[in-house]
Amino acid sequence: MMRVLLEVKPRKKPLLPIEAECITPASFLEERDLTVWKGNRELMLSNVFNVSVTGEVDSVDGVEVVLRGETSRIKRVGEYMEGGRIIIEDDIGMHCGNFMSGGRIEVHGNAAAWLGREMRGGEIICHGDAGDYCASGYRGEKRGMRGGRVEVCGNAGDFAGEHLSGGSLIIHGDAGDFPGVEMRGGEIMIFGDCTRACGNMTGGRCHVFGTVHEMLPTFRNMGEVVHEDTGQVLTAFRGDVANRGKGNLFVGNYQYME
Amino acid sequence: MKFDDVLCPFCGCLCDDITVTAEGGRVTGVDNTCLLGTSKFLGDNRLKNPIMRTDDGWKDVTYDEAIASTLDALLEADRPLLYGWSGTHGEAQCIGVHMAELLGAVIDNTSSVCHGPSILAIQEVGHPGCTLGQVKNRADVIIYWGCNPTEAHPRHMSRYTTYADGYFLDNAFRDRTVIVVDVRRTETAELADVFVEIKPGGDYAVLSALRAMVRGRDEMIPDSIAGVSKEQLRHIVEICKNAKFCAVFFGVGLTMTRGKYKNVRNAIELVDELSRHTKATITPMRGHFNVYGSNEVNTWMSGYPYAIDFCRGIAFYNPGETTAVDILARKECDAALIVASDPAAHLPSKCIRHLANIPVVQIDPYPNMTTAFCNLQIPVAVSGIDAEGTAYRMDGVPIRLRKVLETEYPTDTMLLGRIYEAMMEVRGR
Repeated sequence: MMRVLLEVKPRKKPLLPIEAECITPASFLEERDLTVWKGNRELMLSNVFNVSVTGEVDSVDGVEVVLRGETSRIKRVGEYMEGGRIIIEDDIGMHCGNFMSGGRIEVHGNAAAWLGREMRGGEIICHGDAGDYCASGYRGEKRGMRGGRVEVCGNAGDFAGEHLSGGSLIIHGDAGDFPGVEMRGGEIMIFGDCTRACGNMTGGRCHVFGTVHEMLPTFRNMGEVVHEDTGQVLTAFRGDVANRGKGNLFVGNYQYME
Repeated sequence: MKFDDVLCPFCGCLCDDITVTAEGGRVTGVDNTCLLGTSKFLGDNRLKNPIMRTDDGWKDVTYDEAIASTLDALLEADRPLLYGWSGTHGEAQCIGVHMAELLGAVIDNTSSVCHGPSILAIQEVGHPGCTLGQVKNRADVIIYWGCNPTEAHPRHMSRYTTYADGYFLDNAFRDRTVIVVDVRRTETAELADVFVEIKPGGDYAVLSALRAMVRGRDEMIPDSIAGVSKEQLRHIVEICKNAKFCAVFFGVGLTMTRGKYKNVRNAIELVDELSRHTKATITPMRGHFNVYGSNEVNTWMSGYPYAIDFCRGIAFYNPGETTAVDILARKECDAALIVASDPAAHLPSKCIRHLANIPVVQIDPYPNMTTAFCNLQIPVAVSGIDAEGTAYRMDGVPIRLRKVLETEYPTDTMLLGRIYEAMMEVRGR
């Protein structure tokens, strides 16, 4: 097992974002210079973090990277990650887990927007809240998260699972506006409330165990069903008819905007 | 001296039939303009020279000193923001993009607080648009959704829609049906044949319902959606399906309310659906006279229309992350150059507070609200009055701005060109 501890150093301009896509378990398997970007300046990783590495391994699966300190402005951590483990002890900046295809990221604080963007596989657990566009796609991208699993223990922002086409997104708290908008596959579970779920969806399944406020009028009511795992009675809808969609939306309660 | 067929450099209509009288180095009269255009042409109180903030108040400086100070602020910054650009001509916007690339800066224009979401929607589903000339001569059904041209684009209805004679319409005023959708009965709504009063935030649901109804799925639509009765929606669908040419115009009532680009996407997809029955088009009601040009210039130079981050030497675009509002609200930039816009008048107070705490250079002919906190303001010629250049109308048609005054002020192109050349020299390029 190799353990990499990255402890953020005090910064003169702590609010400027740092782009650190080099922080993946695989990067520490071989000895090479790693750089990050602070605005338009390229810096050595060691200029931003105190780096300590203990242990040796041959495979990425044995690497654990721990981020400690003020990490809420560190972006793109775990981008294209294929294996191993990243533990973030506090909040994390945007685009954490972009395109990851394997391994596990655990965020003990909150995650900023685009958590698990276009993720292909692996697992992300966020113990706090997630920002907007959790498990979604990039601008203009027709496919968001394609595989893997994202679990948010708190609330998620707007557009969670936008363009979702595979994998599963689980939100234990509330989701914001338009969860599952344009989704075409995969599964979303929301245990709290949300507004305007699954607009324009064409496929996939979304369960909202709380209330969908401002329920969209273009979902066909298919009657009530009992959810297998929770035993809760949910109303099943099919749509979005406006988009010739054949997605499945199951909701605990719903209210139209009349 | 009289100048005919002058372009009005105020809103996205870019009216090109203005007559301007100029005497003694100033505009003394204008014909054919609306009130907004008149006030722009007759604008007074220009700054006479660059001014720099000091501990003792404003100090007059020369253009050379102002350029040197601008270089200091921008070259030292780790993440400079170049914002505005919609109130100047395309040639100056080109230099702005080159400058952003050289500096490793973020460049954004005012569309990030107006029709940026329209572009996001267009990137998702395309843009079934047309020129305003097509609308004028062919459209028999006009929909104004979330916009109020009577007050924001005062000549739009007389030049292109309701009151404009059309080549293929015998009696344009009577032959056109005007539908207005808005959250309140505006001046434009008073002129409409059909007014649809919608609850705030209800646009997406109503657009979805209309799409389903155009496809003949109205049996599943509830009796009322966002304050609009199903009966009225059915009436609108019938009008649109029976139109020969249906032109939809939309404003920030659609782009800057909840859902933003999803509202616009839904409107575009409604137009797509209507196009199975008749000819239908959709056009954003652009605000600043050359905001469309800024999107065009940025796109042909960098691949992206606004919110472009050159920090790493290549163009990265992600509205919500690289847009000026978001960068300022998160305090992520450490210097700003404001060109041809007044962010203090439009951006949220949180953004303005950050701008007030970093070095800000403003290039603008007039003192404005941003003057209240900028460190340096450099006056320039006004595009379309004493500077010529290229501007893009709201339908994407480029038109040449004319110059009606001789001036000693440098144009935006000249001033930005000098700053850029000095930057290249410092950077050894």
